[in-house]
Amino acid sequence: MTALQDKHEKEIKHILAKYPTDEKRSAVMPLLYIAQRKAGYVTKQDMLEIAELLSISTTEVASIVGFYTLYHDKSGGKYRIQVCNDLPCALRGSGQFLEELCENLGVQVGETSSDGILSVEAVMCLAACDKAPMFQVQSHSDISYHENQTVESALQTIEKWRAEETDK
Amino acid sequence: MLRPGALMRGMWTTFKSMFEKPVTVMYPQVKRPVSKRFKGRHELKRYDNGLEKCIGCALCAAACPADAIFVEASENTDEQRYSPGERYASTYEINFLRCIYCGFCEDACPTEAIVLGDNYELSYTNRSEAIYTREMLLVPVHPSAAPTPQKVAPGTFDRPIPEMEDPD
Amino acid sequence: MSELVKNEAAQNMVTLTIDDHTMSVPEGTLVVDAARSIGLDIPVFCYHPKMEPVGMCRMCLVEIGTPMRDRTTSEPILEDDGSPKIQFFPNLMTGCTFRASEGMVVRGYTEKVTAARKEVLEFLLTSHPLDCPTCDKGGECPLQNLTMQFGDGESRFIYDEKMHSAKHVALGDLIFLDRERCIQCARCTRFQDEIVDDQVIGFSNRGRALEIVTFSDPGFDSYWSGNTTDICPVGALTTADFRFGARPWEMNASASICNHCAVGCNLTFNTRREVKSGGEKIIKRVMPRQNEAVNEIWICDKGRFAYHFTASDQRLNQPLIRKDGKLVPSSWELALDLVTSRFKNAGENLVTLAGGRLSNEDLFNLAELSAHLGGDALLYSDMAGGDLVSRLGVGEGTNFSDMGPETAILVVACNLEEEAPLWWLRIKQAAERGAKVIVANPRKTKLDRSAIHNLRYEYGQEAGLVTALLSAISPKQPKSPAFVNKLAKDKEVKAAAKALSEAENTVILFGSEGTSYAASAALAQACANLLIASGHIGRPNNGLIGVWDKGNAQGAWDMGLRPSEDLDAALKTSQAVYISAADPAGDSKQYASALKKADFVVVQELYMTATAELADVVLPAQAFTEREGTYTSGERRVQRFYPAVPSLPDLLPDFGITAEIAGRLGLELEKTAPASVMLQIAEVVPDYAELTYQKLAKVEKQFPLIGREDVYYGGTSYQNSQGLGVQLKPAAQNGDSPVLVITELPEVKLSGEELLAVPVTRLLDLGNTVTPSEVLVTRLAKPHVALHPQDAEKLGVEWGSKVKLILNGSTQTVLVEFDNSMPHGVVLVPRSLGIPIISPTPATIKVL
Repeated sequence: MTALQDKHEKEIKHILAKYPTDEKRSAVMPLLYIAQRKAGYVTKQDMLEIAELLSISTTEVASIVGFYTLYHDKSGGKYRIQVCNDLPCALRGSGQFLEELCENLGVQVGETSSDGILSVEAVMCLAACDKAPMFQVQSHSDISYHENQTVESALQTIEKWRAEETDK
Repeated sequence: MLRPGALMRGMWTTFKSMFEKPVTVMYPQVKRPVSKRFKGRHELKRYDNGLEKCIGCALCAAACPADAIFVEASENTDEQRYSPGERYASTYEINFLRCIYCGFCEDACPTEAIVLGDNYELSYTNRSEAIYTREMLLVPVHPSAAPTPQKVAPGTFDRPIPEMEDPD
Repeated sequence: MSELVKNEAAQNMVTLTIDDHTMSVPEGTLVVDAARSIGLDIPVFCYHPKMEPVGMCRMCLVEIGTPMRDRTTSEPILEDDGSPKIQFFPNLMTGCTFRASEGMVVRGYTEKVTAARKEVLEFLLTSHPLDCPTCDKGGECPLQNLTMQFGDGESRFIYDEKMHSAKHVALGDLIFLDRERCIQCARCTRFQDEIVDDQVIGFSNRGRALEIVTFSDPGFDSYWSGNTTDICPVGALTTADFRFGARPWEMNASASICNHCAVGCNLTFNTRREVKSGGEKIIKRVMPRQNEAVNEIWICDKGRFAYHFTASDQRLNQPLIRKDGKLVPSSWELALDLVTSRFKNAGENLVTLAGGRLSNEDLFNLAELSAHLGGDALLYSDMAGGDLVSRLGVGEGTNFSDMGPETAILVVACNLEEEAPLWWLRIKQAAERGAKVIVANPRKTKLDRSAIHNLRYEYGQEAGLVTALLSAISPKQPKSPAFVNKLAKDKEVKAAAKALSEAENTVILFGSEGTSYAASAALAQACANLLIASGHIGRPNNGLIGVWDKGNAQGAWDMGLRPSEDLDAALKTSQAVYISAADPAGDSKQYASALKKADFVVVQELYMTATAELADVVLPAQAFTEREGTYTSGERRVQRFYPAVPSLPDLLPDFGITAEIAGRLGLELEKTAPASVMLQIAEVVPDYAELTYQKLAKVEKQFPLIGREDVYYGGTSYQNSQGLGVQLKPAAQNGDSPVLVITELPEVKLSGEELLAVPVTRLLDLGNTVTPSEVLVTRLAKPHVALHPQDAEKLGVEWGSKVKLILNGSTQTVLVEFDNSMPHGVVLVPRSLGIPIISPTPATIKVL
């Protein structure tokens, strides 16, 4: 048994039961979700264990983590702000939005603020091209969309979270 | 039958030329300047910082119609750096008995490292002397710069082929 | 496409028109393949004829149209002139994913298509660093070639805005990745996934940020990694071995054959004279050479990287004679005269011992010399059955690529990917086409993934298992040991036996996992019995294949050499021993002491091996890269290799040295031209009759078409222009009708406390010809043994810990690995790691 399996034995069993035994690999997404729940990112060890559990290669697990914007292989802030800057969004000014947002927050793209509350990432399409500039936020295993944003409106929302966090 | 008048005319021509400006120079004490586009012995150029321009790509050897150039490449390290890119010429030889001074090598060079110079004073006492090695072809290091190989800080040079201008 | 074209008769043919050329191709042929088959090139990057199309790179965009049909009557609509009206797709289609259909019209060179190609190339080059002058692929690069041919020459993107990423990422120790050069075609990841089933590299992230990653330990942990550098259409993947080695156009190419295992992969050696090697011409890299019946266009990493031995400075370069207990340099004359006089004295007490990496010509001359004196010509091998393979081997015309649902393949006592990697690959692919693969091995092997039946047995029972299969087919068996009867009742064994006997074609491969010579003999005979009983002999795609330990072991059997059942005794009692290309003293202390007892030992070698250290005369020989010759593969395909580099001065080929000795003994043998030796072989060895070097050098058109002129298809593998070789007919195909021979089955007994140490094979071992390749150092197996985790727990040893292994009277410190698929009470000892193991032996493990 592995560390991950030890901790979430029941849950993992439940997930694996949903898939045929020779297609265990299908369980990779929910298992990654479990692995990510606690620290907010998937460690290399977790990837190794999931690969072993599902009889696939670690590289394949890592590829999946790498592909999806909702999985992370590095630690980040409590609020991960993900700004889409694919072409349609860029045409609606998401590039400048991201740049100014980072300037105001004092955080570089792909980095975490010094208080550990925020990190800002540029990601691929989030399927809200018509409402760009937009961003999605991952926090406390919640995901929310914030569309038709300006830097001011984004900063307001972010300040709110900051306040909530400091209150805690 | 030789006419005396003709003989005298010849003698006069000779006598007259004693007072004309000579067309020859006293080589080797006196040397004529060569034309701007003269193609003499090759030189391997350096950047101002002393690093060699040659990246050992052997395109000069490929372009050479006389098969006079032989190049062998090796990899630079930050401990022993010869050129700014990843690769340098560890062997560079031109056989001047073969060279026809066409300048194709100069045209082929992507870094302007091999240049045909002004030197036409090439003489050898045996055939192997006609093969010029890398050390003989390289121009002297600028007094303010360090000779190659240089020891540089890691990450100073990370481009495969440096820009055409001097890197710094 | 190969199958499609070959089976034209069996397929529905469709007629299509590509750029005004009308052609017939089997239904389902991809448009790019159809075009290629008549010499029209539709450029591709991501498409590779050996892999499923994905249509990722968009380079193959063409206009495609199909005949219009009336919607109500489904009658074809005709133009005014009576020709069918063609409706073109509104957008350009990818030729690599579109399959030919009746009446299809393809336009590959219209303005629209040409413009699209320009744009695709411009787009692919937006982030490409254009560092062709320093790129190892420069000169044989599809991106370079296609840009020159189809590109615009100018880009609307700004050079200074190119994205920069890491340029020197080590994917393991063998392969470097340049992230800037990658065009994301996924050929490499698809190769690792689809073709060799090692998903150790993958894509991470998306869009511009997409990159190739490896998370295996060690990085890019695959025996096939070198092939990705061949098929990479840019310089993103290059080998550490060839890094900045030479420009492709500067090198010469010589055809050769790999002699590391019995597959006989076709190779091309790229050579160049270089200053770094003291002005010598040396091999700079090894590339695969296409032979669709042997290695297709692939080679394993051992074949690709373990070639440095020929240029090693440890090579012997002059004869040595023992004087006052020391080996001192001597002239050839002196050494040969001494050898001759001692051989003459020894007469029939001369023992000739040859290794399986010698060529047929060398082995023939050795056998002739030995016969002349009346001595024994022995093959240094622990495997038996070469005589059976020459009688019941696979029929002429056998090709794993032709095997499908009608074929059953039994692989017994063999870890195939370790023992003969290419056969593993081709059998895996046969399984994907529907061939019924049955794997019988005491532990899990990679081929198990492709098998429909996995049969397990205890080490030592391999012949028993095959006999059990036989008795399941024909119940009239003489009395068998109890374990055979028990195995025969096993459900899985019964099912496997059924599959084997019912299949139209059956091929059996036997290896050397855990076998001694005696066990190997019993196994080979049992396999032969099974084939005879089920009638699977004497036809193409039927018969027996030996997964030999050395490249030309089959050739040695064919030349009349035989392994000795008791080599120890043979060496001890001899008056003179003539050893060529074998290192018995290095493999076993027992042999070393036997050699010390022998009166006179002559060793013909490349290096100062442990055996050469014991010799009275050491004769240096040319490496196979320095001369011509032929090898016979396990499938009994005789193939020619050519000289790639000049010989060290003053050295002779092995057959030449033997001929020199023979000449002094009054036997005329050919000493200079291997082609003449082959003519003699053809006279003496019936199976080789009519074989000539000319025949071996014949080539024919192979599918898929790959080639150096248009590197964008198959990658940088070489096309075959110097010979596909000739597959020999086994005796069974010439009318020989063999009968069952029932042999006694060997059994191994152990005392209580001991473990049974069994020899197994690792691909990257510490053999004499492997270790000089420094690039492989980190990948070579360290001296280790494998235990079942439960046995290890009992002994109190952990994974990776060091233990003392007491075996055959010698003690050695080795690392421990676990294998939970292996039987209990057994310790697996890989061969050629410096641990003396020849046959299954009791052993003790002590914790340090």
